[in-house]
Amino acid sequence: MPVTINQSLDLPDVADVLVVGAGASGSVAVKALAESGFSVVCLEQGDWTPPSAFAGDKPEWELVKQKQWHPNPNVRAGAADYPVDTSESDVNPLMYSGVGGSTILYAAHWTRFLPSDFRVRTMDGIADDWPFDYAELQPFYERMDREMGVSGLGDNPAYPEGEGYPLPPLPIGKIGRKAAEGMDKLGWHWWPGANSIPSREYRHRPSCLRYGTCLTGCPAGAKASTDITHWHAALEAGARLVTGARVREITVDDRGLASGALYIDRNGTERRQKAAVVIVAGNGIGTPRLLQLSTSNLFPDGLANSSGLVGKNLMMHPYGAVVGTYDEPLDSWLGPAGQSIESMQFYETDTSRGFVRGAKWNVMPSGGPLGMRVGYGGGPIDESWGVNFHRNVKATLGRSFEWGIIAEDLPDESNRVVLDPTLVDGDGIAAPKLIYKSSENTSKLIDFHVDRAREAHEAAGAVSTSETRLMRDCGWHLLGTARMGNDPATSVIDQWGRAHDVPNLFVIDGSAFVTSSGVNPTATIMALALRSVEHLIATRRDQLVSSSSAR
Amino acid sequence: MLSDAERQRFAAIADVLIPEAEGMPSASQADVPTTWLDVALTHRPDLTAGLLQALTVAGDLPPAEAIDLLNTDHIPAFEALGTLLAGAYYMNPEIKRLIGYPGQVATPPKDDTDTYFDLLENVLERGQVYRDAPAEASS
Repeated sequence: MPVTINQSLDLPDVADVLVVGAGASGSVAVKALAESGFSVVCLEQGDWTPPSAFAGDKPEWELVKQKQWHPNPNVRAGAADYPVDTSESDVNPLMYSGVGGSTILYAAHWTRFLPSDFRVRTMDGIADDWPFDYAELQPFYERMDREMGVSGLGDNPAYPEGEGYPLPPLPIGKIGRKAAEGMDKLGWHWWPGANSIPSREYRHRPSCLRYGTCLTGCPAGAKASTDITHWHAALEAGARLVTGARVREITVDDRGLASGALYIDRNGTERRQKAAVVIVAGNGIGTPRLLQLSTSNLFPDGLANSSGLVGKNLMMHPYGAVVGTYDEPLDSWLGPAGQSIESMQFYETDTSRGFVRGAKWNVMPSGGPLGMRVGYGGGPIDESWGVNFHRNVKATLGRSFEWGIIAEDLPDESNRVVLDPTLVDGDGIAAPKLIYKSSENTSKLIDFHVDRAREAHEAAGAVSTSETRLMRDCGWHLLGTARMGNDPATSVIDQWGRAHDVPNLFVIDGSAFVTSSGVNPTATIMALALRSVEHLIATRRDQLVSSSSAR
Repeated sequence: MLSDAERQRFAAIADVLIPEAEGMPSASQADVPTTWLDVALTHRPDLTAGLLQALTVAGDLPPAEAIDLLNTDHIPAFEALGTLLAGAYYMNPEIKRLIGYPGQVATPPKDDTDTYFDLLENVLERGQVYRDAPAEASS
């Protein structure tokens, strides 16, 4: 489990920039700022997690992944986790608190938005457009591909032309080949999956070893989690990282400028870190929670919330899946997990289907014998136990794989993050509560896609299929709760992540998303963070700062 | 850890849930009650209370009746017992060998593009699957 790496903390009284959160976006910001000469302090509520802590290469993996390495913080209930009230949510949020954030446990699917994702209002007449287009973000995507060490194959006809990936694709394996055969029969798009997992040694990181345990941490230390890809360079450049630091408030001065943060350290002591600029990078739940916690006379409804949109428009990508079982061995415990192949065949809007927008599909392996068992209690005993205990495993182990479906979630103000009136975290700070319902458009979308994914399996020769139309533990992608836009009345931050209400406060994580797309968002989160922080660096001379942060 | 009586009760239930069949040994034949259950519990101590509750509910009932009762009225306890039982069973290396599962082991990647380039050519021939988008928003 997570361990503490002691470090000598020589914290400045006033940092040039304070970053809250050491995950995907915070890592990008800290590294870029430190390498540009800024004094940077990052407050992270979790700890370091070395590869040796992961269980993927140990016999107990399938047992501990259901608890200690579960992505749902309410199940994992680690010391660094905060609880989330999900009693009014269709979906459970998934995340990890620690250096590297949720990249520690993510699947490393490295997928960009498509051009239409930035123009949803213009092209489909719903939701909103982003303040910029695909071409604007493309160079940042390409740079993040190199920083993360992405393995993939270029010339995918699902995307505009651009720079190729820095590493060749990982093996698609027997499951990928089998899935591709089905797609080929149907004439549907597929492509080897792009993953932020190196297919060969890359920048001092080892090659993937195909443990297939990416979702519970990479025991090889190969997967691109930002503790590995960004933090060592950031610390070498002089950044200061405080682990075990739970921020409870962004402070402001009498002019309404951010002046730093109050946090609880590992010993339960409240501390203050002053800063000229504050960047919040706590994910689509942690960020609005912190802004809502940061009330004051100037900001009685929470910081940067004059629009009333902080916490609203939560999007979590409802996830459907169809598992196909085949009558031949496919070694379907082999990684990456990770995506073997992907499909964008039904990604774009076709209104004849009865819904708008679409979903990316991805083939993933199915793990070991426990991974194939669905539940233990409440169903007919004979289905799961007795002689069928053996028959089920023999029929499915190594012979099954999943077509997963990432359904685009449209923004809806009624889907939101609020502060829970009673639930608190380990430091007594109000926990977030999610109020989230999957929409009718999403239900129709998932129904359509599940039916097509079943057809894909059948075309590939599956002897049986089983489907999940809405997986409850699927909320990996926490988006939209401090959305960007040009109008302060309808957005929280501008296109550079700067809060409309507080010009030295920035939000750079998935909260910034205007729409969610139908793809895994980490590539976009990190590209967006890089774009925002480089603009902050370029415009440093014009940056307003708090007078109370002056040295 | 479990008392002798609790362990015997667990073994009786375990052998109904995982019997000798299909060329596979029962839970007891796989040393689950005597060895692997304890290993599983060291990794999942959070399930200990549920397991003990299940064994208390089971009491002296015949195993099949105990299982029905647990699966009907004590589902969390039954799930704790079931998770430990299945997890312990598959931690036994001999069981892994019998089902042909090597475990999650290091397997250096080898380029397999030659196994699918024929299919990929068809994808390329079908052409672009995304919509071009305008650089400027409509409003």
